[in-house]
Amino acid sequence: MVHLSEETLSELLEGESVTGAKEHLASCPVCRGELEALRRLRSELRELPELDAPPELWSRIEARLPVGGRARGTRRGWRSQIAMQVAALAAVFVLGLGLGRMFAPGDQAGPGSQLVSERAAATSLADAMAEVRRLGAQYDAALRNLEQLAAQEGAPTPSLAEQRLASLDALVEASRTALSVEPADPVLNSYLFAALEERAAVLRQMRVQQGSGSEVLWR
Amino acid sequence: MVDLTEATLVRRARAGELEAMRELYERHASRVYTVVRRLAGDNDLAADLAQDAWASAFQKIREFRGEAAFGTWVHRIAVNTALTQLRQAARRRNLEQGFDGSSTQGNPDRWPASGAAERVTIQRALDLLPDGYRSVLWLHDVEGYTHEEIGARLGIAVGTSKSQLAKARARLRALVTESRAEVVDHGAS
Repeated sequence: MVHLSEETLSELLEGESVTGAKEHLASCPVCRGELEALRRLRSELRELPELDAPPELWSRIEARLPVGGRARGTRRGWRSQIAMQVAALAAVFVLGLGLGRMFAPGDQAGPGSQLVSERAAATSLADAMAEVRRLGAQYDAALRNLEQLAAQEGAPTPSLAEQRLASLDALVEASRTALSVEPADPVLNSYLFAALEERAAVLRQMRVQQGSGSEVLWR
Repeated sequence: MVDLTEATLVRRARAGELEAMRELYERHASRVYTVVRRLAGDNDLAADLAQDAWASAFQKIREFRGEAAFGTWVHRIAVNTALTQLRQAARRRNLEQGFDGSSTQGNPDRWPASGAAERVTIQRALDLLPDGYRSVLWLHDVEGYTHEEIGARLGIAVGTSKSQLAKARARLRALVTESRAEVVDHGAS
């Protein structure tokens, strides 16, 4: 007797109708047994227990997650970069403010120390953006201090001028990094534009100062 | 951690909270690992696949809109990850026939040594199947995929999927029968 093929048995297992198969099964205990065995096997497959994941698997996954300064997705990445660059920028401003305080009488506990304590909390996009905004204001404050400083005898104006330029470079870079992800953001664009304009003004002043030999670098 | 709803965990995971990701992982780790382990037929490969699947899921969790349960979504990612990598591995080994159905040969290094008195459980028998057979069998008989869905995921024709399934069932049946016969022989001697 010719038995049913594996394809036919498989089709029967799926409930399909195959010409002549029903009659064959009625007269062939071998094929009936085979079909029943396949049915049992399928049930056993479905009843296989769930497996426990290896205990070390989470640590391997964690190392690739977009959090905690490790491998990051694009959006988280630029937020982090902004936060870090803002932090670096803040340090420059704090230095400028601190020097300003040193040379300016009174007002000892100024925004510089406040900036240092607040900086550590800038871990989200909102924080980073707030820091960028605050740095704009801090930059202006630092500038005012440095202007006063420049007017005083013994002020270290050349190095502070370079710091001012470096600060603006950092602000430009931070803005450009953010804009690479959010090119249409109006706030970021305004910061980039303002920083570039300010930087150009500083360079113009430095060229004028170099030409005239003047020690006054600030506005 | 407080018992949070899955929607809350997903929202927090989207925001980059590691603890939320960990909790989502803990809830679905077994299900994900099981499916990739069944498809891979190998513990080390399964761990790699699970790692890739979870990393992929968390990297694109912003795309998860909640139309399906998170577990269903990550399970689908796991299946796709496993199938993609198994196909790539087969291509590298020039063993595409394991997926197109033209061969009934399994991966030789997974077969037990001749005469070994190894008890082959269903799981072990599954591991011994060629990758293509195992994938089609598991996806169809356990995961409930149709032949059309399997064909689309594996890049094979519907008819090939049906043929693979028939051969996989027959091969699995033979492996289990052989194994049980060996156990009886050794038990009697």
